[in-house]
Amino acid sequence: MKASRVRAVACKEWREILRDRLFFTMAFGVPLLIMLVLGYGLSLDVKNIPFAVVDHDRSASSREYVHRFSESRYFDLVGYVAREKDLDPLLADSRIRLGLVIPDRFGERLQGDRPARVQALIDGMFPFRAQTTKGYLEAINAEANRELLVDWLARSRGMTRERAVQQVTPVRLQQRYLYNQAIESDWSMASGLMMLVLMVSPPFLTALGVVREKESGSIYNIYASTVSRGEFILGKLIPYVGVSCFNILVLWLVATQLFGAPFKGDPLFFFIASVVYVICTAGIGLLVSILVSTQVAAVLLTMVITFIPAMLYSGLLVPVESMSPDARLQAWLFPPRYYLEITWGSFLKGLGWSDLWLPVVVLAGYAAVLWSVGFLAFHKRPRR
Amino acid sequence: MRLWWLRMRVMTAKELLQLSRDPVLLIILAWFFTADIYIAGSGISMDLRHASLAVLDRDRSEASRELIQRFRPPYFEYQGELSSGRQGIRRLDRGTSMLVLEIPPHFERDLEAGRSTAVQLQVDTTNTVLGTLATGYAARIVARYGEDRVLDRLGVTDQQLAAMPRIEARQRVWYNPNQVDPWFMSISELMTVITMLSLMLPAAAAVREKERGTIEQLAVSPLTPFQILFPKVIAMTLAILAGTAVALFLILFPVFHVPLKGSLSLFFAVTALYVLAVSGLGLFIASISRNLGQVSMLVIVVLMPMLLLSGAWTPPEAMPALLRHLMVISPLYWFIELGYGILLKGAGLAVLWDSVIGLSLLGAAIFGFGVMRFRRQFG
Repeated sequence: MKASRVRAVACKEWREILRDRLFFTMAFGVPLLIMLVLGYGLSLDVKNIPFAVVDHDRSASSREYVHRFSESRYFDLVGYVAREKDLDPLLADSRIRLGLVIPDRFGERLQGDRPARVQALIDGMFPFRAQTTKGYLEAINAEANRELLVDWLARSRGMTRERAVQQVTPVRLQQRYLYNQAIESDWSMASGLMMLVLMVSPPFLTALGVVREKESGSIYNIYASTVSRGEFILGKLIPYVGVSCFNILVLWLVATQLFGAPFKGDPLFFFIASVVYVICTAGIGLLVSILVSTQVAAVLLTMVITFIPAMLYSGLLVPVESMSPDARLQAWLFPPRYYLEITWGSFLKGLGWSDLWLPVVVLAGYAAVLWSVGFLAFHKRPRR
Repeated sequence: MRLWWLRMRVMTAKELLQLSRDPVLLIILAWFFTADIYIAGSGISMDLRHASLAVLDRDRSEASRELIQRFRPPYFEYQGELSSGRQGIRRLDRGTSMLVLEIPPHFERDLEAGRSTAVQLQVDTTNTVLGTLATGYAARIVARYGEDRVLDRLGVTDQQLAAMPRIEARQRVWYNPNQVDPWFMSISELMTVITMLSLMLPAAAAVREKERGTIEQLAVSPLTPFQILFPKVIAMTLAILAGTAVALFLILFPVFHVPLKGSLSLFFAVTALYVLAVSGLGLFIASISRNLGQVSMLVIVVLMPMLLLSGAWTPPEAMPALLRHLMVISPLYWFIELGYGILLKGAGLAVLWDSVIGLSLLGAAIFGFGVMRFRRQFG
């Protein structure tokens, strides 16, 4: 292995990147764009759920009940319809996600100290949204019941209202939110997205860089030259790893400055861990480039093996502990989950080497395996 | 006219032949429509499941134990008792517990004396969605517990309970009564795959000719630009539709038991329309890039916002108002409405006609624009 040859290959590669203006801009622009779009757009908050009401009762109580929904920020009243049947097309066409049916004599029953029943029709197309809608519905309903109970106690037991209120809620729940006190989903998302972006973009760049030469045939110049396979791989990948390392800084700045995420950990530790991660993901790109021979295939394969694991199996949306055993295995297999632990640990929890050395070691091991497999599988004399 | 048809047919056959000569690409396509959808559809649930809960019980009474018992699966997973507050923080730091519940001393005594008391819940909110969900569930459990204690203490009998004003909200979830996550996730992934491939494949087919210089040969042939481009789109549309059929009949129906409520032919017709619309966008990308590296970068630039703005992964209602209006220009938004509408909700043209028209208009506009851009390059 000669340093001068590595440098020559790296220089050539760098010049090629520079000369392709669009590619050059995109190499820096795409990670930034993904970060911005997902950072602002990827919100799992369930708010403004559109709903419609069938009110057979039309009493003060029923209006008050509906009002509880329409004034909360979680629901958005679309309007009243006359019959239950009118709800069907609205649900089928996704114009509403919830239909409330208030029966006849709703108010009368409540006034007469009898239970009343309302019917809620929920659109179950998106289970997460349906579940959350159910939760809000139950919470609003429970609040209404608590007030009814207070009234009832006051009336039937002859208590004052204040005393009844105190009686009804003997235990309060004090919640303390740790690590992200203001529940800024931007903070968690922006820092978590560094994981996603750095999982997707380095393999893209490396795979395209190598396969481009394969497809255009210019790789035969390398095959015929004195450059050894180790020198070629190293020289070829250094510029892309360099670009990605620069992107680490840019993304870090975006996360902390633009999205306002706090960085409580050790910057040096975080940078080193990130570089290890980038080297690791660039290794994925190297493997892809060895497997395929056309650029379309390279792009698609990279998408498959980076995007889905980073999005779904990293813990970004679903914590690894809550996954099914099957999915947990996949989470353990892919690198993003370890890096996410490092990112959230560094950004939000303020942890450093002493707590997070293990994931860094795992990533380093991962990188070593990927690069050695890449080195062994790359041949200067491709068999036909 | 016969000649025109012949040329189209020959060119389409050529594209299909070219596609079939890249075995790695074919394997990847097959992977997309089977394994990828399976992976995305299985095992992931965005609900709160098994949130790990450790308890610091400073009271150790019957009352505290009863409260702890109410934190049950599927939402919570009780991990056991802690000996000190420091241990709780450590577990939260490490991520081994998501929640730590602390019950104060004299909890039972206060309850019995009718004094109000409070329990403390420490929540790991690095994942804000689940953090707030867990807090919501916990608050409901505690409130319910309190109510039960009160009724118990006041000696309210079951008989009296029936004579209390109380609203019971009966819930019925439609279209997916048991809220099976794979139904949503697998359809959503199928749509994502279709979108990505319809952007990528025609664009790649067009740019490859540029990269290799074979476009010059086509330019000097008697073919019009439309005749060069459209067969590419047709070939790729056929490939994608075949893949969709594979995904539906090998994965979605047999493995995930996704119900087919609507008309299958309507679904395929809509899919074809959608693929055509999106490939217009792909052609536009191809017209402004010189090689595949550029194409793939631009595809990501277009794909990402499209996926996010359309509700493939996230509830679109939660978007800021401005973005919600922008969704209308994303073909995926229409496709999602139509796709779920047909597959899960059993909606027909009578209900969905406006979305079909929306998608057609948008598709025609995008496709026309893409072809126009490309034509100018030949001139």
